Amino acid sequence: MTQLVVENLRLEYPAARGGKPYLALSEANLAVESGEFVTIVGPSGCGKSTLLMLIASLLRATNGTVKLNGKEVAAPGPDRALVFQDFALLPWRTVLKNVEIGLELQRVPVARRRDIARKYIEMVGLSAFEMHYPHQLSGGMRQRVGIARALSVDPEVLLMDEPFGALDAQIRQVMGLELLHIWERDRKTILFVTHDIDEAIYLADRIVVMSASPGRVIREIKVELPRPRGLAIRTSPEFNIYRETLWNLLEEQVRASGSWAAAKATGDR
Amino acid sequence: MNEKFAQVALGALGFILLIGAWELAARNGLANPVVVSSPARIAAAFARQWASGDLFADLETSAIEFAIGYGLAIVVGVVLGLAMGLNRIAEYCIDPFIWFIYASPLIAFYPLLIVWLGFGFVTVVTVAFLLSFVSIAINAMAGVHAVDASHMRAVLAFGGTRRDVIFKVILPSSVPHILAGARIGLGRALHGVVLGEMFGSNDGLGYSITRYAAQLKTADVFVPLLTLIVLGVAINQASALLEGRLQSWKRA
Amino acid sequence: MAINASKSLGDRLSEAPNARTWIGGVSVVLFLAAWQVIGANEIVRSDLISYPGEIAAAAYDLASSGELGANALTTLREFAQGFAPAILAGILLGLGFALSRLARSLFEPLFVAMYTAPLIAFVPLLVVWFGVGSTSKAVTTFLAAVVPIAINTTTGVRETQESWVRALRAFGATRGQIIVKAILPGAMPIIMAGLRLAIGRAIVGVIAAEMYVSTSGVGRMIQTYSTAGRAAEIFVLVGEVSGFGFMCVWLLRRLENRLAPWRARA
Ligand SMILES: Nc1ncnc2c1ncn2[C@@H]1O[C@H](COP(=O)(O)OP(=O)(O)OP(=O)(O)O)[C@@H](O)[C@H]1O
Ligand SMILES: [Mg+2]
Repeated sequence: MTQLVVENLRLEYPAARGGKPYLALSEANLAVESGEFVTIVGPSGCGKSTLLMLIASLLRATNGTVKLNGKEVAAPGPDRALVFQDFALLPWRTVLKNVEIGLELQRVPVARRRDIARKYIEMVGLSAFEMHYPHQLSGGMRQRVGIARALSVDPEVLLMDEPFGALDAQIRQVMGLELLHIWERDRKTILFVTHDIDEAIYLADRIVVMSASPGRVIREIKVELPRPRGLAIRTSPEFNIYRETLWNLLEEQVRASGSWAAAKATGDR
Repeated sequence: MNEKFAQVALGALGFILLIGAWELAARNGLANPVVVSSPARIAAAFARQWASGDLFADLETSAIEFAIGYGLAIVVGVVLGLAMGLNRIAEYCIDPFIWFIYASPLIAFYPLLIVWLGFGFVTVVTVAFLLSFVSIAINAMAGVHAVDASHMRAVLAFGGTRRDVIFKVILPSSVPHILAGARIGLGRALHGVVLGEMFGSNDGLGYSITRYAAQLKTADVFVPLLTLIVLGVAINQASALLEGRLQSWKRA
Repeated sequence: MAINASKSLGDRLSEAPNARTWIGGVSVVLFLAAWQVIGANEIVRSDLISYPGEIAAAAYDLASSGELGANALTTLREFAQGFAPAILAGILLGLGFALSRLARSLFEPLFVAMYTAPLIAFVPLLVVWFGVGSTSKAVTTFLAAVVPIAINTTTGVRETQESWVRALRAFGATRGQIIVKAILPGAMPIIMAGLRLAIGRAIVGVIAAEMYVSTSGVGRMIQTYSTAGRAAEIFVLVGEVSGFGFMCVWLLRRLENRLAPWRARA
């Protein structure tokens, strides 16, 4: 069943003083199945974050619509939960209270939201750290909190904007693996932005490739690797083919945009 | 540039709104003009005090007291603060007294000061000094404590002596802290002058405020009061400017 | 400052555990002893400097006669009457300044002017307006406290991290929820620092206002004993006021540790 539909989405950032408005997203079209794991890749600055913000209704589109289960979304809500690259935890709240926040905003009674939060904290393996504050946790642990917080509101779609971007390579792999486990358990729909080509392939049912700025979707690649996947899959010949395809596509985009910074960002592996 | 202008214009508008509302309230009998006074009355009082030379005489007295008290505070505060910063034992010994002076309502001692130092000038200078030197000393000490140990090690590694470390590393790098303390001290010194004049003198802006207030000449009270406010803001702005200049090496 | 490899006696002393406490303690005890000797033996006129023994006796007398308690209560009441509304007003004003550019541009200069001016200079006027009784003292306390609280609230709110707000917005938070759950708690450490400044200013303000003119209160007592030339009682009263200040700051620290334990790192 198609769950999320993005149609002709366009976004212009209003002009800074004396400048022109900036077209960040020219015309994005995307349809996501319920329970699908979609990764999004594209050159830096092509509008991936912008696209997620639009889906979350944190930005208002210049044109086009976002529909969830056939209904156009207008305001942010717990049906779409975001996981941020910088974690965006509240430093004065313990792990437990951070995970509770989404439910708290919806005025779910304390006892109930505590139970729910505990369940997701356990799911991400942080039960022993419930009463810790974010600054007492490692980067990987903080992002686990971010994920538990997003899951706690039982969203229909999980929007993840480079969630592992601030973590080092090893932790990143572990987190990817854990995310897959969680996803395999309750099959949330996930939109996952990444710069890491391997990550994009390894996690996805489908990879969405975006053009250089102003962004639009230029290619969708179905990933037909068997599930459940383990780390070993990265060395398989099939994986290599995906890797090569994706690499070539991105290189082309980067070259077209002529941006060194973008090249560095996408080519860093 | 435009932004800045708008900011200043709005700030000025805020003052004008306040003055306008006040004048209107006084004229329409919303507030008793004898008690609350009004901008027009204050302006008249200002002209009167300006013409008679009273305002200028007050200002002169207060300014001299301030300059001496604050000047002393800087000298003593910096020396004491650096000494405390460089020598732990000195720091631990002096620390409790510093905090007592910082935290207690020193003005309560004014009668004793008057007996010791006489009514007027010296007492006022002393109160200003006592109130302000502590913040300078505390900051100078913090400045020494904040010195980057790697800089000290570098000087020592190149054969520098302890003296070199003090004069080439510690002093220059505590300057920003000292300046910050000096700036806090400014406000406290001015406060000290006014306190001293109110309780231990019959001269200066602070004294004039109490005298006019005792005579219920509200409009006249505002003249030295507003002068003090303007003085406070001006001194603060000037010091911020100076601080910016002196610290330009930090940005480089 | 241990920059030399060979340690002097002083270095070793100063590195002992709890050195700050006991060296400071010894220094205070020595000072008190010297003071006692000089004062009690009239080496310097004791009516001018008093001495610890006399001060202790005066403290006992003042406390046991009930004079101190009654007056302290008056001052405390005035302080509370001014300080409590100042917290509320300061936070609301600070929020207003932080969230509305117009309000900030219009009124912040007025506030800064109020902050830089010596507060005590307003007291005579306040007495004309509010009388010699408690009200003028409460108003003095209020004015002394409200400005640093408001200024710090503004600073704190403006340092709110965008990521906190973003996270809440993503979960569909209302504007009110964002203020209560992200902006205020985020600004709390800086607001607390403002409260600490405010306490210092307010205590000095209320005491000086009582000294200026009043019918009762600790400041009134100070004034009475001053004019009577009683140094010992003045020391007792000053000590009491400082003690109150320390207690407030200590309580605030504890409160801060509860409200903002996450700051331990910063
Ligand atoms: N608030 C804004 N105002 C103006 N321009 C913006 C704003 N936010 C982003 N942009 C611009 O819009 C473009 C798309 O930004 P976006 O953050 O969506 O890119 P991205 O694909 O997520 O990049 P990255 O891979 O580096 O995270 C960029 O060129 C960026 O400079
Ligand atoms: Mg991005």
